Amino acid sequence: MGQSGAPHPVALRRESVDRLLIDWSDGHRSSYAWRHLRDHCPCATCRDEAGRPPDPFRILTPKELEPRPPLAPLSMTPVGHYAYKITWNDGHDTGIFTLEHLRELCQCAECLQRSDRQSGAE
Amino acid sequence: MPGEGGSQISLPNVRYVVAVASGKGGVGKSTVAANLALALQQGGKRIGLMDADIYGPSVPIMMGVPTVDPRTTPFPIERYGIKLMSMGFIVNPNQAVIWRGPMVHKAVSQFLTDINWGSLDYLIIDLPPGTGDAQLTLTQTAPLSGAVIVTTPQEVALIDARKGLEMFRQVHVPVLGIVENMSYLPLPGGERLEIFGKGGGLKLAADAGVPSLGQLPIDPRVAECGDRGDPIVHCYPDSPVALAYRQLAAAVERELATLGEQPELPTLPT
Repeated sequence: MGQSGAPHPVALRRESVDRLLIDWSDGHRSSYAWRHLRDHCPCATCRDEAGRPPDPFRILTPKELEPRPPLAPLSMTPVGHYAYKITWNDGHDTGIFTLEHLRELCQCAECLQRSDRQSGAE
Repeated sequence: MPGEGGSQISLPNVRYVVAVASGKGGVGKSTVAANLALALQQGGKRIGLMDADIYGPSVPIMMGVPTVDPRTTPFPIERYGIKLMSMGFIVNPNQAVIWRGPMVHKAVSQFLTDINWGSLDYLIIDLPPGTGDAQLTLTQTAPLSGAVIVTTPQEVALIDARKGLEMFRQVHVPVLGIVENMSYLPLPGGERLEIFGKGGGLKLAADAGVPSLGQLPIDPRVAECGDRGDPIVHCYPDSPVALAYRQLAAAVERELATLGEQPELPTLPT
């Protein structure tokens, strides 16, 4: 739809307690673990942290040691016609996931096979 | 918080919201926005014109609105049958607005949500040049039906116009087309003097695969009337440039009609 002809979501659904399903206008059905999306948050802070090597001497804060509920999304709302904003129950809410990025992150069997083949070819 | 990326502003009584953009300053975008708005109004449509340029608002001078007292003036202000809102109505013209992004975001959002626009056929939004805060706010939160990109014929303007176009592509806002401003000076013998180069708008439209919405000729009366606060389509409605504006208005209406509705993205059920 729109001028680009790029696929866009027609429905979003929760599948069990820890997965997201997206039905796309081109017939594709995407499946994601919420954890996978959270780990690939595109916001500037997360991208910065993802680029740094883990610190072997980092001591966990008391807050991080507290028992916490499992990760869950509080909401996933459209941003214009091109992205979604996810707010999480861990307080994080600055990530804006473009439709293109969401397609790239797809964890359905077909997409995982394709990305395995691509990384195998490197 | 309203207006943060992800909060959609709904304008149910506005049929179409059209942004007038350019990558570059100085191509005449505000003049085009004001005259396009008026040409649509002259065609019988109910029109609003929202000035989203917080730093350098042009609408008050172009539409001949004197400085008002924002504490006592109801907004939007009406002029030539069009409803208007601009930062220029709130801030003294001699005062610089030295604001960071979040405040620009707030002001632009409030112009959409807190102003009683009433029922409109078209809300024309005069964007500032570039691809920054005001554009982001509008593409993330406003129900934009489409964008008109203004350029002048020369290559240096095209480079920036392409960036503006690319921005709308990335955020999935339909580009209605390119309008080439200051295209040529019509000479008495019927020839055209192409002062600012030739063909740029058509080339950009062809390269990008978007319609060419027309070419607006140069007329010294555009600036003369504009500075007096009387847009050329009202000031000299029979001039060649006023005719070109009416053709632009017809082209914009046509492109919007062919687009159809862009469906909203679905939300995640709770």
